[in-house]
Amino acid sequence: MNNLEKYSKVFTKTFSIDKSMLKKLKYQSIPEWDSVGHMSMISALEDTFKITIEMDDIIDFSSFEFGKKILKKYKVIIK
Amino acid sequence: MNSKELLEYQPNRPPFLMIDYVTKVLPGKFAEGYKKLIKTEWYFPIHFPGNPNMPGALQLEALAQMLTVAITTLPGNRGKVTHAISHKVKFKKEVKPGRKFIIKTKVNFWNRGICRGIGIGFTDGDIACEAEMTITIPDILDKFLPKK
Repeated sequence: MNNLEKYSKVFTKTFSIDKSMLKKLKYQSIPEWDSVGHMSMISALEDTFKITIEMDDIIDFSSFEFGKKILKKYKVIIK
Repeated sequence: MNSKELLEYQPNRPPFLMIDYVTKVLPGKFAEGYKKLIKTEWYFPIHFPGNPNMPGALQLEALAQMLTVAITTLPGNRGKVTHAISHKVKFKKEVKPGRKFIIKTKVNFWNRGICRGIGIGFTDGDIACEAEMTITIPDILDKFLPKK
């Protein structure tokens, strides 16, 4: 599984959604991406990519697409 | 922790405070204690007339309140309000008036304002109920959320 597949799987599994919804997915755009969903998603990304995401980046992680840019900071390239 | 000290760590108040004493606590790890069910508890006459027993919802509340103590005793968390997020519970035995409802809870995960843990309630040496619980301290969790 490449990084994009792993990254996508975190979202589809955490939020129980289809991958067709990922491109436009943002914080609070679906009921499942609420405060607890947000932290579950962050934890799942940390486990998947063996990283620890800093507080500022957790706050900035507001969408599926923007999250890819954040993970670049942790040397995780999503493509 | 006696009933007076408990009030510093558990924001609920009588008649909705479902624990009397905390007998053991390791902040961030576990909390145990009990509630003595006196015959004049407000719910016994109505749950049910002729067959009083502690409502399942209140047994679960007791477990959640005890789990709260396990995290509000961590440095910096004293007095903080907690919210329930989700609980999964099984009820196994009725809890009758005059009994001691013994409560044991354990923290499995605590990070960034979210606590996942388990709780077991005992009556007369038997398991009365057991639950998997997720609670949060919104004051902490909110600091990690994207701004609108």
